[in-house]
Amino acid sequence: MELLVLVWRNLTARLTRSLFTWLGIAVATASMVLFLSFGEGLRQALAAEMGNMGPQIRVVAQGTDAFSPPLPELPPEMLGQIEALAPELGIQKVIPAVVMFRGGFDPATSFLFYGLPEGADPRDFYPPARVAAGRIDPHPDGAVVGAKKAELNHLTLGKPLRLSREVTVPVVGVLEPAGSMVDSFIFVPMKTLQKVLGTRNYGVFLLQLDPSADVEEVARKLEAAIPGIDAQSTTEALKFAERALRIGDLIRFGISLVALVVGGLLVANTVMMSVYERTREFGVMRAIGARRRFIFGLVLSEALFLALAGGLAGVLAGILGSAAINLYTQQAVGLALSAVTPRLALFSMAIALVLGLAAGLLPARNASRIPVTEALGRI
Amino acid sequence: MLRARELSKRYRQGEAEITALDGFSYDFPPGATAVVGPSGSGKTTLLNLLAGFDRPTAGEVELAGVRIDTLDEDGRAGVRLAHAGFVFQSWNLLPTLTALENVAFPLLLAGVSRLERDRRARGLLERVGLASRADHRPNQLSGGEQQRVAIARALALEPTVLFADEPTGNLDSAAGARVLDLLLEHASGERRLVIVTHDLDIASRAERVLHLRDGRLVRVEDDAAI
Ligand SMILES: Nc1ncnc2c1ncn2[C@@H]1O[C@H](COP(=O)(O)OP(=O)(O)OP(=O)(O)O)[C@@H](O)[C@H]1O
Ligand SMILES: [Mg+2]
Repeated sequence: MELLVLVWRNLTARLTRSLFTWLGIAVATASMVLFLSFGEGLRQALAAEMGNMGPQIRVVAQGTDAFSPPLPELPPEMLGQIEALAPELGIQKVIPAVVMFRGGFDPATSFLFYGLPEGADPRDFYPPARVAAGRIDPHPDGAVVGAKKAELNHLTLGKPLRLSREVTVPVVGVLEPAGSMVDSFIFVPMKTLQKVLGTRNYGVFLLQLDPSADVEEVARKLEAAIPGIDAQSTTEALKFAERALRIGDLIRFGISLVALVVGGLLVANTVMMSVYERTREFGVMRAIGARRRFIFGLVLSEALFLALAGGLAGVLAGILGSAAINLYTQQAVGLALSAVTPRLALFSMAIALVLGLAAGLLPARNASRIPVTEALGRI
Repeated sequence: MLRARELSKRYRQGEAEITALDGFSYDFPPGATAVVGPSGSGKTTLLNLLAGFDRPTAGEVELAGVRIDTLDEDGRAGVRLAHAGFVFQSWNLLPTLTALENVAFPLLLAGVSRLERDRRARGLLERVGLASRADHRPNQLSGGEQQRVAIARALALEPTVLFADEPTGNLDSAAGARVLDLLLEHASGERRLVIVTHDLDIASRAERVLHLRDGRLVRVEDDAAI
């Protein structure tokens, strides 16, 4: 308690310098929080997405990764093959679909078309889907547009949507916002999309299983029975995504570490300078009877205090920044991509403190080791 | 009690060796003892050793019944806190603390509670006539006032020995006289004051005067002898 008063007095006695150092740590911490918030946001979005996903197995051509749109490489016969296996494996429903991506770095110029077979509508893809205007089924020749996509491209009922030079379909339905990737999708009849792509193939089979079925096992059996396919279960996709996110986290952490090290050096510099300037002061304290630990603790507390205050401000700034990012991404793609989870906030605070500790140890050691007579100077 | 036996301090400077203090022995009686001598004669060196700021190259120092020459830094700091106070020529005070906080600092180190610290520090400031300056920072005080705050702080834990190195060196005669009175006031009963000075008038107010020359104790003037 008393130590804090001394720390506070000294930091405020050199206010400008302390403020700049504090700001440096805050910026460093905030940048780390923001960098890592993307991983956390994606994680949360993915978990929510997977939880709402209807189909439990996605069958795609071998070599397709979990995140890029599958190319139409599954031949029509394969549908029959899978349907033949369905009763035995506990597959309730097989929905073939075709996916077409037109992009676009900008969300307004990228389009993700989902071709659904007759008898299927967006709810087969995403059960909570609700229609806000028009109808939910794109058949026989319309397009049902996700809420975000409709808003971004001003797609209202009856507006024409050009898929290619020859093929144009009218918007027949707009979905309610779902806070999911579905908000950015456009559902069209599969026949239409196949015509555009000039193929009779499918891009993906969405399989709905009996609740009692063992998803992983069905996936393995399917892959064994039909060569050339990947059967991805939702949990598998999650695991895959988690791995990708981890790697991303590491890279982002590495980048932000640079900022943090700079912040740490700032603290070290501030504390070192202040130790140097206060040599006489420490001499007086020691002369009065302060032990070395007292001086050590005093100096270390200063570094820790700076790091703590900077870290706190940084986390707060990170939370604000993350909210700002989400404001943008929600508008753009309908997803909150950034999240400052409690564990991220704690982790960032811990890193800031560790840096403060590392930056304070050497100056604290120096300050506590100056011989008293030397610290007092020639009197 | 304060006693030195065959106390020596040598500084090595490259090849050369400087003997700052050479075989100093003296048993300081209660009351005020002045130490005089030309510049470089070893007065400050002696005070540093007596107060335990530094360790002697040879010899013994006993302060308040403890052989401090054998103690490590922190051990000496402990003895100092409990038994010794000091006043330097200048820059005695911690610049970021108020007068009151400066006086309370030794009490803080000694673990005295906040309220009690405050109460005692106010009493001490009153004793040196600075009650009205309690909340001033050192840079808002005159040199004489700063020295009086330093005295109040030195007295905070009621030390048995008070060390002062040229405490009036930077003051005019009126302020200096006031500081000296306060110091001498403390040197009564069993308590001791060791005061280093150039000023023979000041030295004459002590009960005895030690003369140093080239690190050696060359003469002891006693009240009885004067
Ligand atoms: N740290 C040191 N390193 C080397 N020599 C030193 C050191 N401290 C003191 N000396 C030398 O020891 C001798 C005694 O110094 P000291 O400071 O004790 O003198 P003093 O009597 O206090 O002088 P003054 O009246 O000028 O304050 C001097 O020759 C000085 O140069
Ligand atoms: Mg001197």
